[in-house]
Amino acid sequence: MYGNAYIEPDSELAAKMAASREEDPEKLAEFEARIARGEKIEPDDWMPAEYRRQLLRMIEQHAHSEIIGALPEGTWITRAPTLRRKLALIAKVQDEVGHGHLLYSAAETLGKSREAMINDLISGKSKYSNIFNYPAKTWADIAVIGFLVDAGAIVNQLANAKGSYGPYCRALERICYEESFHLKQGYDAFVALAVGTPVQREMLQDALNRWWFPPMMHFFGPPDTISVHTEKLMRWKVKMASNEEMRQDFIEQYVPKIWELGMTLPDPALRKDEATGVWEYTQPDWDEFFRVINGDGLCNKERLAVRRYAEENGRWVREALMNPIQKRMVPYA
Amino acid sequence: MTESLDPRIRRADLEASPASSGLKQNEHWETYAIFHQDKRGAAHEFVGIVHAPDPELALVFAKEQFGRRKKTVNLWAVRSSDIYTFQHEDDDMFSTVPDKNYREASGYPVRKRINKYLFDQKEEEASKA
Amino acid sequence: MNNAIKDLLFRLADDELVLGHRNSEWTGLGPILEEDIAFSSIAQDQIGHAVANYTLLHESAAADEPLPDAIAFGRNEKQFFSSQFTELPIGDYAFSLIRHFLFDHAEMLRYELLTASSFAPLAALARKIKGELKYHVLHADLWVSKLGQGTEESRARMQTALNEAWPYALGMFEPSDYEAELVTNGIFSGEEGLQESWLEVVAPIIEKAGLTIPQASEPKYGGRHGYHTEHLQPLLDEMTEVYRLDPAAIW
Ligand SMILES: [Fe+2]
Ligand SMILES: [Fe+2]
Ligand SMILES: [Fe+2]
Repeated sequence: MYGNAYIEPDSELAAKMAASREEDPEKLAEFEARIARGEKIEPDDWMPAEYRRQLLRMIEQHAHSEIIGALPEGTWITRAPTLRRKLALIAKVQDEVGHGHLLYSAAETLGKSREAMINDLISGKSKYSNIFNYPAKTWADIAVIGFLVDAGAIVNQLANAKGSYGPYCRALERICYEESFHLKQGYDAFVALAVGTPVQREMLQDALNRWWFPPMMHFFGPPDTISVHTEKLMRWKVKMASNEEMRQDFIEQYVPKIWELGMTLPDPALRKDEATGVWEYTQPDWDEFFRVINGDGLCNKERLAVRRYAEENGRWVREALMNPIQKRMVPYA
Repeated sequence: MTESLDPRIRRADLEASPASSGLKQNEHWETYAIFHQDKRGAAHEFVGIVHAPDPELALVFAKEQFGRRKKTVNLWAVRSSDIYTFQHEDDDMFSTVPDKNYREASGYPVRKRINKYLFDQKEEEASKA
Repeated sequence: MNNAIKDLLFRLADDELVLGHRNSEWTGLGPILEEDIAFSSIAQDQIGHAVANYTLLHESAAADEPLPDAIAFGRNEKQFFSSQFTELPIGDYAFSLIRHFLFDHAEMLRYELLTASSFAPLAALARKIKGELKYHVLHADLWVSKLGQGTEESRARMQTALNEAWPYALGMFEPSDYEAELVTNGIFSGEEGLQESWLEVVAPIIEKAGLTIPQASEPKYGGRHGYHTEHLQPLLDEMTEVYRLDPAAIW
């Protein structure tokens, strides 16, 4: 009745999960009924092993994406062209680190330690969003990332915030609030370039050309085939919207804002079918999608090397304050 | 690896850094639950956790992770392992609470009876007259 | 008197900009997530203080001074009056923490003195940022004491950092050409007294952390007069890389 769940070594947890693969039908029915009623699942609730595994994988990857996402934008921290942009960019990258923190905390409630998650990130075992494997070549990339990539993130995160797992929803609520600042500061920097000098407009157009397909591909992924598996994840409110729904939502909201400024996107087929309200677009290069996922993107190696370097560099600080009698527990929320 | 576009990383010399041997268990210390008070007079509310080696650093970390945006006048840090809690599966212990209206102001609808009494009196007087 | 105030504001602002810039190099790369966030806020606060002082320069001290961005991004090293301490590379985390500790204590005391300044806008600014500085110092003190008393490695790194930092830290108190004028006019009570009170505050904390202040160091002067180490101009080149593409553009 009173809980004090200490963290177990991950291999043991995995074994336990495998053992409970055969779910108790009564508990499963109760669990699904709770979700159907719109109630949230809390960390100490009974949950199917498959639900725990999928959520953990998803939240952990999301957390990794935030801290890896701090790197492409970090590229321009020391070079932001005004004091206000400098402050905004530091604050934005700081928020992304903060999002990583909030999401790791949510993932920890599912029974995996933050150390184990970071180890899986730097060993390459665990994935993160491939959008961050593209380089930020000029200052205009920062404007486009802040605007378009954060816009894509918002579409995704707003959907997930309505999911079934309490700690993830709570984290996303705060994250979405901060993302709206990211989007707005990105849009502001974007507009500054779009209404600026010819040199600025040219920079912006170049960045747009490079940054249009990455979010279209990596945020939303290939159109999903509705398998039994995705059907179950949607019933459990782990997956909240189909890839194509979210992609359409993204295009609908942001493409007009880009065109309004006289900027172009590198897809001649992009247009809205006014009769159906559906956007048509050229299918992104899905071969590239899988190449980048499998580690062959422009910056995969560097991103992981930098993360490893940061962890190694900070090790002596963490070790200096380690206390052998500490008993770590799975946080309640 | 091609040269980094980030001048901070170019200065860092990634190749020279030792190969990662992975983080140890407990290298991120313990966790502390953080409670946030947004104004004097308001209750402290749980907002999340921080990893910290001791309560002082827990508060110093919480100040920025949970106080840098929201209006804040005070924070508490409580070692997570010092929190005792019920399990959610036992929430049926609380399930009859809404039925117990003898605890509620709304369980005492006296006005109805007063109105009936006043009405009866009026009727009586009318019948006397 | 105007030149004295201008000189003071440049010193205050340039210190904050250069050190805030340096500290922001840790953003996203810090030793643990929680500390990454905390140190990043401190960097932002410092750049914020630079903005506030450049704004005072522009608005209150001298009508001929341009807008803060142009002051910050439009000068070369000879025109910067930050102490050399602030421009040194970030080093390991021990060096960055020790610098933060030594600098922020000096800053805290400096602004405490400035709350009584006869130059009213500066006194108002000093009162306004008191709370931020209180946090910086709390953060610095905790880390210095914990790492000083942590492992053999952490103690050694902190001591090495302190040895390297110390002469440059003393350089923060390099007297300006306007000391007498600042004192007589009640604008600022002077570097010498500030250094004394700073030493009184930091020495016991260093000692309690099990660290030793290096003996007989010559202060590294020059920064307050535009003479810098080989590190400042490259820092400025980097900081202004985009701005210089078109200084007339609105970014
Ligand atoms: Fe984020
Ligand atoms: Fe963001
Ligand atoms: Fe400052």
